[in-house]
Amino acid sequence: MAQTRNAVIVGGGTSKFGVRQAHLLDMIQEAMRACADDLPGLKPADIDGLIIATTMAGRHSSALNTAPLVVQRLGLSPTSICIRVDTLCAGSNSAIIVAKGLIESGIADVILVTGGEKVYMPQRWETNYTQLAVNDHDWDSAMGLGVPPPFFAMIAKMHMKRYGTTKEQMAHVSVTNYGHGEGHVNGHFAGRTLTMEQALEARIIADPFGLYDCCPLSDGASAVVIASEERAKAMSDRPLVYLRGTGQHATHSMSAGWPGDTLAEWPHLKTAGEVAFKNAKLTPKDIDIAETHDCFTISEIIELEELGFCKKGEGGAFVASGEIGLNGTIPTNTDGGLLVYGHPFGASGARQAIEICKQLQGRAIHQVKDAAFGLTHNLSGTCAQHTVVIYGKEPVK
Amino acid sequence: MAELQKAEIVGTPALDGQYIGEMDIWPFEAPEFNRIYPFYDNLRAGKFTTTKCKKCGHITFPPQVICPKCWSDELEWVELPQRAKVVTLTETQAGAPLGFEPPLILAWLTFGDKGPLKHLLGRIIHCKEGELKEGDEVKFVTFSVPAHPFEVKKDTKISDRVFYAFELVK
Repeated sequence: MAQTRNAVIVGGGTSKFGVRQAHLLDMIQEAMRACADDLPGLKPADIDGLIIATTMAGRHSSALNTAPLVVQRLGLSPTSICIRVDTLCAGSNSAIIVAKGLIESGIADVILVTGGEKVYMPQRWETNYTQLAVNDHDWDSAMGLGVPPPFFAMIAKMHMKRYGTTKEQMAHVSVTNYGHGEGHVNGHFAGRTLTMEQALEARIIADPFGLYDCCPLSDGASAVVIASEERAKAMSDRPLVYLRGTGQHATHSMSAGWPGDTLAEWPHLKTAGEVAFKNAKLTPKDIDIAETHDCFTISEIIELEELGFCKKGEGGAFVASGEIGLNGTIPTNTDGGLLVYGHPFGASGARQAIEICKQLQGRAIHQVKDAAFGLTHNLSGTCAQHTVVIYGKEPVK
Repeated sequence: MAELQKAEIVGTPALDGQYIGEMDIWPFEAPEFNRIYPFYDNLRAGKFTTTKCKKCGHITFPPQVICPKCWSDELEWVELPQRAKVVTLTETQAGAPLGFEPPLILAWLTFGDKGPLKHLLGRIIHCKEGELKEGDEVKFVTFSVPAHPFEVKKDTKISDRVFYAFELVK
């Protein structure tokens, strides 16, 4: 189908992320409230489509068919689309890709993309136990692979062995992201700071990871409005932020299908990035700011390599040299990322999109000067799938 | 607040101790619940097997109902190598899921470049923390896992189960 019009992100907001005393639907309402604060004048009747991204809703909130529940709680009456999507940690980024297509094709005009998770249960064991169901259950999970740290610890060990990456270099990621997280009051670790010494002396979670190498599991929700260019202009006077290009690539579901030579190479991310850059008619050099999936410090390092922001194997030195800071060549996770803002799986992609939207509109808390092009990335599962979305102040021509 | 009886505040009374399949950590291995049950029968015979496509020759793991290369459904069972080398490993010190007591040792295994199976995540059992090293050779081993009930018309049957892991070759 020929593209007839452009899709833009208008604005959005998140609930407080953290270990919350709240139901999933409470937090989605909080995210909607924050989104409404960001877009004064937005009314329920303005929204003709809803996409809710969640993984845990079925199991942890007994909400298998989640979309109608969200419709009721937000006072919506969608006429173009009303669905739930689940790609685990990439849920709302996947939803944004779907929204882009629906708006560009004319099927929808204004879509609310929301994502949320209630991770923490009355007893803590259940959260770790549920993680067995987000991997390839009958195979890798039956080996005891539940929460992600052991798998990513092996990735870090391989990257250290093959490319000489160090714990100090990994700590530069967490220290930088804690700096970026400052002022984001809805973040899981809002108000906290981190020094290099604290990062390196933290208790070990899974060797070589200390506590600050790992993002938290968070309860929380986020919401963004994706609209046609015409409707966006009517809704807000802010600069338009266009969805330029997307890519999503999956190669496997369990370890036997791993596509890399070793765990330190992520060719599936490289491909997802190449597809998104081609669609966006941009190259890594054009990108001013990136929100990459820093579930672990090593993840951000490998992502910068595979997305083409630095050479393969040089990610450790790259992050240690300050290139991911606000004045670096690619300011990364300028809202604190998963490490500091937190990670309610389905909510994270939209949280990243909000930061890119604000950066490109010149109203971010830690503003990158003259940011014109931004990129978001999520990995999901045990690094089984990669999702990339590229934004710009100008549409693809 | 009045003191509540323990029976009133603990558990899910409606379930009355029922087996909950959706919370099971092991696969449903009985032929009534999957089409690759020969894999589990072969495990009981001490064999590590998978499916090979009769049309294109592709071997895949885990075993499947159709070939992921050519979508043929003409598959046969073949044996996989039972020995592998440890590329890297992780010993879980916190957060092991219920049912997997520490030390939970997971290893990234390689079966060599020529084998039908290149990488595999494997749990290493019968091993102390700190004992396993990169480059070690490990071998396939099977063990029993808890059975579960299932209904066949008006009868309740029991599915006895088995699974596999790896242990250090000493």
